[in-house]
Amino acid sequence: MKTGEKIKILYIDDEQNNLNGFKATFRFDYSVLIAANTSQAYDYLRDHSDIAVVLCDQRMPDKTGVQFFEEMRRTYPNPVRMLITGYTDIESVIDSVNRGHIFRYIKKPWTDNDVKSAIEEGHKFFLTHSLLAAKNQELQSAYDELGKFAYSITHDVRGPLLSVIGGLELVKEMSDLTEIRELLEMMAESVRKLDEYIKNTHEYYKLKRGMVQFTEIDFHTLMADIAALFRIVSINENVEFIHSVEQNEPFHSDEISIKMILSNLLSNAFNYQKKNAADKKVVVNIVVKDNKVTISVTDNGIGIHPDHIDNIFTMFYRATSEETGSGLGLYNVKDALNKLGGNISVESELNKGTTFTVNIPGNTHGSK
Amino acid sequence: MAQSKKLNFMVVDDSKLDCFIAEKIIKNTGKCESIRSFLQARDALAFISSTPPDEHSHTILLVDIQMPVMNGFQFVEEFEKLPKEIIEKYTIYIISSSINETDLSKVHNYKSVKQFLNKPLTSNNLSVLLG
Repeated sequence: MKTGEKIKILYIDDEQNNLNGFKATFRFDYSVLIAANTSQAYDYLRDHSDIAVVLCDQRMPDKTGVQFFEEMRRTYPNPVRMLITGYTDIESVIDSVNRGHIFRYIKKPWTDNDVKSAIEEGHKFFLTHSLLAAKNQELQSAYDELGKFAYSITHDVRGPLLSVIGGLELVKEMSDLTEIRELLEMMAESVRKLDEYIKNTHEYYKLKRGMVQFTEIDFHTLMADIAALFRIVSINENVEFIHSVEQNEPFHSDEISIKMILSNLLSNAFNYQKKNAADKKVVVNIVVKDNKVTISVTDNGIGIHPDHIDNIFTMFYRATSEETGSGLGLYNVKDALNKLGGNISVESELNKGTTFTVNIPGNTHGSK
Repeated sequence: MAQSKKLNFMVVDDSKLDCFIAEKIIKNTGKCESIRSFLQARDALAFISSTPPDEHSHTILLVDIQMPVMNGFQFVEEFEKLPKEIIEKYTIYIISSSINETDLSKVHNYKSVKQFLNKPLTSNNLSVLLG
């Protein structure tokens, strides 16, 4: 519930006079829904998931309030339940507590203050409960991710480690120096892969736990910083690297996240090139306009098969057997974009190349 | 399989290093007639299904589990759909770094898989398996 919004309550009673009276008394303090029977009440519960408190009269023609609560609890467990009755027999009190799991028992005739304080208390309980449910869900998804991590560690960490161990065993039986050098280079590649995995994991946790920090970003400087990192790979791998920046207005966002996004997309663009192609190319365009930045990264590499394109942002999904990939890169990109309110789209053709386009809105509040 | 006969080997693993290691170790046994490595399970499957079975040869197939695109289990499932006279010519060993119980127990579900081997492949455990 947003602050300042009225607490939404539902009152069920078969006497129209009671309903009208109730609504007249409380409509200034609460958003009041009234129902003359339980089927009408169910319609409200279905359409208003934000109902915090349900008050119900015990004596109704089709069923008792306790019966209604007992039944309602199965489908709508969240709203706090309060029973209103003029008949104070101990049996029905015990019943309502045990079967209806009610929060309060309100005696007729009620005083406005009694009802108000009951609703306020009930609402606090509802909020705590909802918060707990949300936290539980967060916890569950954290556990699920942990499970994925644990599984990926056996392959993405243990795999390269065992390869290196295997290589070390094998080298004892080898004498040809050229072959040994070849083996050593492959072992180095395995170790680099491990390092890559650790760096990505670190990035993942920094993103998960860290708060975004909005500062003014000069994309000319940012692009120059990143370009410096990729210059060596561009020369070594013989990939033409073209980048352009168009920025005529200040732009505020989280610089670390944007750098991470750009370097991940660039790593992919450089990694997934066609091995022996002569005209390997990576193009970056950054345009800042109307308080929005659009970054596109295009390569003419191996492309992404249509079967895999929907899954590329999934954690630990690797769409290709070529080159190395931790399966975390694009997942991290997507996660960062969610935090910045941005989005990403991809266009790709097998053996022709891939273009990733990122849109990020500027944060108008500036630095905080 | 007769002990005296030389064997063909096939390695299916997305790690180049693991393929290299397996090739070297297998060649060192001296029991190897031919060896082929595939970085992609799909390529291996295509090769197997398009190669007519040779009466006089038998192939030992070492397959990794966790591979992108088509994993080891998916590979075995597809392999088991091939004609009987092809299947007969291969003995499959799953070789993996996995210590995941689900992976390990899954291995028993496949008729064509003879055994699970832990990575890394060494001359010792290869010679045990070759008898």
